[in-house]
Amino acid sequence: MKQAHMLKYFISLCLVITSLSNYAQEKDSTSYKNPYGLRLGIDISKPILGMIDSNSSGLEFVADYRITKNWYIAGEFGTQKEITVEDYTTSTSKGTFFKVGVNYNAYKNLLGMNNEVYVGMRYATSIFDQTLDSYRINTGSDYFVSNTISSSSRSTDLNAHWTEFVTGIKVEAFKNLFLGLGFSYKIMLNLKHPDNFKTLYVPGFNRVFETETGFGFNYTISYTIPFINK
Amino acid sequence: MNKNILYFLFFVFVFSACEKDDICLVDATTPNLILRFYDNANPSTLKNAERLSVWAEGKDTLSTSINISLDSIAIPLNPNTTQTVYHFKRNMVDGNIPNNEYNTLTISYTTEEVYISRSCGFKTIYNNVNITSGTGWIQSYTPTTLTTIDNETSAHVKIFH
Repeated sequence: MKQAHMLKYFISLCLVITSLSNYAQEKDSTSYKNPYGLRLGIDISKPILGMIDSNSSGLEFVADYRITKNWYIAGEFGTQKEITVEDYTTSTSKGTFFKVGVNYNAYKNLLGMNNEVYVGMRYATSIFDQTLDSYRINTGSDYFVSNTISSSSRSTDLNAHWTEFVTGIKVEAFKNLFLGLGFSYKIMLNLKHPDNFKTLYVPGFNRVFETETGFGFNYTISYTIPFINK
Repeated sequence: MNKNILYFLFFVFVFSACEKDDICLVDATTPNLILRFYDNANPSTLKNAERLSVWAEGKDTLSTSINISLDSIAIPLNPNTTQTVYHFKRNMVDGNIPNNEYNTLTISYTTEEVYISRSCGFKTIYNNVNITSGTGWIQSYTPTTLTTIDNETSAHVKIFH
């Protein structure tokens, strides 16, 4: 629940900052030009989660480039290490991921504002290792208690390909500095499993559910390097 | 409008984080050895073993078989070793100790670990199973060897008594 409170706090902070920045915004010219440029950022949820949960550590960079009034080319790149603790197995996934796609901004901004409520799609891929750290045979009864067996059977060069449907918001808190909140629903296209085991977690995809779908979110801080104003 | 979307996203995150999509069913896990008791005089007829108690060497009596009348029993094998010795006590007459009859079955096997699913983990299946009997109330049994025990859909061994 600690995490949920933090999320709430963060969201409130976003709203406060947005309203303040909107208030402070000046409309000095009738011929306002929209900034077009490369926006680079970082997902701050992963380091925060890493502090709360010692089983999780990762880093994600985000980038997008505005191509038309409402369309952006967008991508993410990062690394993730995740220890998955289940009733009978403990395993570690570790690897890098890369995502590329487009965002469509559905938000009608007032003049001079650059906020976004977007939907988009990604193609994503990850190359990772998964290690079965330990396991205990499920005997189905407690008459014979099975020993926990330490293992380090490591499956290297596993890979996954998937698509993501993304949605989220980005608010311009200060000039060219954006706070973002995004959600993604992931559908696996191709996933390589280890022999006599299963890929339980894929960096960038997160937990692989039984239906080979997944969920993800990010909270980003990003900065636009304006190239041109149109 | 922004606010509603924020709330929506917030709840989606919370629920997606708590979801448990996969529940382990017991019959998917390590199989037991299933024995059925038949009449030695009339081999196609089931015959109850009266006041049956079953325990593995050095262990307590199985909770499913404490002084009970049964025509079949499922006994777990020890996945940590390659041999399990079971003691079978029956009493066909009354509850008095002099009428107790005993028999042992020694089950030898090799183990193989098979991954099932996230929630079930690994199960053991038993291969090259060989069963030997001590002397006692069990007249005969069939088969004495099994290639594999990997499910519980039907009885593995018929016991004649």
